[in-house]
Amino acid sequence: MSLQKEFSKGLWEVIPPFRLVLGLCPTLAVTTSAENGMGMGLATTFVLVFSNLLVSLLRKLIPGNVRIAAYIVIIASFVVIVELLMQAYTFPLYQALGIFIPLIVVNCIILGRAEAFAGKRGPLDSIADGLGVGIGYTISLTVLGSFREIIGSGTLWGLKVFWSGFEPFTFMVRAPGAFVALGVMLALINFISFKLEERKRRAQS
Amino acid sequence: MSFGDYMLFIIGAILVNNILLAKFLGNCPFLGVSRRMDTATGMSMAVIFVLTMAGMITWLVQYYILVPLDIEYLQTIAFILVIAALVQLVEIVMAKTLPALYRALGIFLPLITTNCAVLGVAIINIQAEYDFFDTLLFSFASAVGYSLALILFAGIRERFAMARIPKVFQGTAIGLVTAGFMALAFSGFAGLVGGGH
Amino acid sequence: MREIIRMVVVLTVICAVSGFSLALVRGFTKAPIEYSRLKFVKEPAVKAVLSGYDNDPIKDRLTIPVGKNKKGKPINLIVFPAKKGGKTFAVAFEASAAGYHGDIGVMVGVDPAQKKLTGIAIVSHTETPGLGARIVEPNFTASFKGKPADKELKVGDVNALSGATVSTKGVVAAVNNARGLLDKYRDKMLQ
Repeated sequence: MSLQKEFSKGLWEVIPPFRLVLGLCPTLAVTTSAENGMGMGLATTFVLVFSNLLVSLLRKLIPGNVRIAAYIVIIASFVVIVELLMQAYTFPLYQALGIFIPLIVVNCIILGRAEAFAGKRGPLDSIADGLGVGIGYTISLTVLGSFREIIGSGTLWGLKVFWSGFEPFTFMVRAPGAFVALGVMLALINFISFKLEERKRRAQS
Repeated sequence: MSFGDYMLFIIGAILVNNILLAKFLGNCPFLGVSRRMDTATGMSMAVIFVLTMAGMITWLVQYYILVPLDIEYLQTIAFILVIAALVQLVEIVMAKTLPALYRALGIFLPLITTNCAVLGVAIINIQAEYDFFDTLLFSFASAVGYSLALILFAGIRERFAMARIPKVFQGTAIGLVTAGFMALAFSGFAGLVGGGH
Repeated sequence: MREIIRMVVVLTVICAVSGFSLALVRGFTKAPIEYSRLKFVKEPAVKAVLSGYDNDPIKDRLTIPVGKNKKGKPINLIVFPAKKGGKTFAVAFEASAAGYHGDIGVMVGVDPAQKKLTGIAIVSHTETPGLGARIVEPNFTASFKGKPADKELKVGDVNALSGATVSTKGVVAAVNNARGLLDKYRDKMLQ
């Protein structure tokens, strides 16, 4: 597959967390606002791209039976780097995302892509894959975050969007709302995929 | 703390701050294994065991290695390595000594390494500045809370298999919405513990 | 045998490279992290007690060693100076005292020349919500502004909170502790 296809599949075909059902914990926890969603997405993308790159470069050197351990060390190192950089330069975002920044290391997306893709393909393809999946994830998180922020706090990116009498549906920014919002969005995405498939089938017949 | 305080602490960890439904830890496997009761129970047992042990060992690593050497920034990488090693060790030991249990747990044991609940609780223990005994209790109670949510959920989902659900919601989507309502139910416990602070 | 050696070597090398790179990143982020931490956690309090300065009190902060803790590690007092034209005219620093439920951390602003408090801000507390926690209310903290900094402050000098006497006493005690620190380290603070 061409580099462009490797990249773009992350934006729809295998977009996490909807079609690639991984990386749910942070999705539910940090999408209380658009900004937090995007911040988490970008941090995860950073780790994903670099770990994919490194895993791909070292794929011929790492013996098979210790590859998971090696992947974990590589991924964890980049997570620590992201932690340090965020503490230094984006402190408020670091505080907002809290415990979920170190938890990037167990985000199944990253280990999943290392195992399923980067461990078997060349560095350029791996970067494209990492970027695609990462940006897809960022988009999902930002959209979900925006949705929950608008309905749950009446703001978008901190700016008020509703008239002052509007009572926000706080349920949305709390735990239960996260599950429901994600479930509804997933149903929506399923709906769109089914419609696209149907159209493809009809076009073929 | 008195015995009563400890009981409140435990109940708080299980119900009020349920690590799955309130703190969002451990969701990936949650939706995967909760379709059937037997997988849910298998995962629960594994989680309780690993989480409690991991909580204790990571606490020791933090206060006897990371802090004295002033390398606390390496917490993430040290903890995940400890957890991965622990799970490997548990697998090896269990395969030899309790083969029936090992087979029953199946794939869930290695899967726990990437369960954010384990790493998450380990980090929370340090952030909350618990001493060793509190860590032990909190880890155990959190795992029990997780299992409770998991098993309840599996019970509900097994019923779903008989219901007629719109196609777009089938599978994970309806699971999420259900989890949402479960979370809502659990959030009703919010005033139960810690009202004095 | 060769396989095992290979496994060990590869893992060791990866860990070593990782450790080295992390130490490197840690090295050059240490200063920005400390600055960020202070800026976002303490700056609101500093801004609440100091005004009319033309410098960056966080950037110009002074670190004064004030003793050692149980393990022998030095305890530092961080002082935030307010300057005009390069001269310090007021300082802000934290002091604490026991409240009803744990320690109360108070950021105290002092004008040493005028011997007055420029204001206080509550930095940390675990007081009872609705009662002792009301020490963060502006009505309470504002009553400290302008009070003398050269003699002991009493509960009667400020707008004490009814129903939260212990918390009020705690804040007053913290301010008096701050005064003690000012007396002891005045020269170092005003350099």
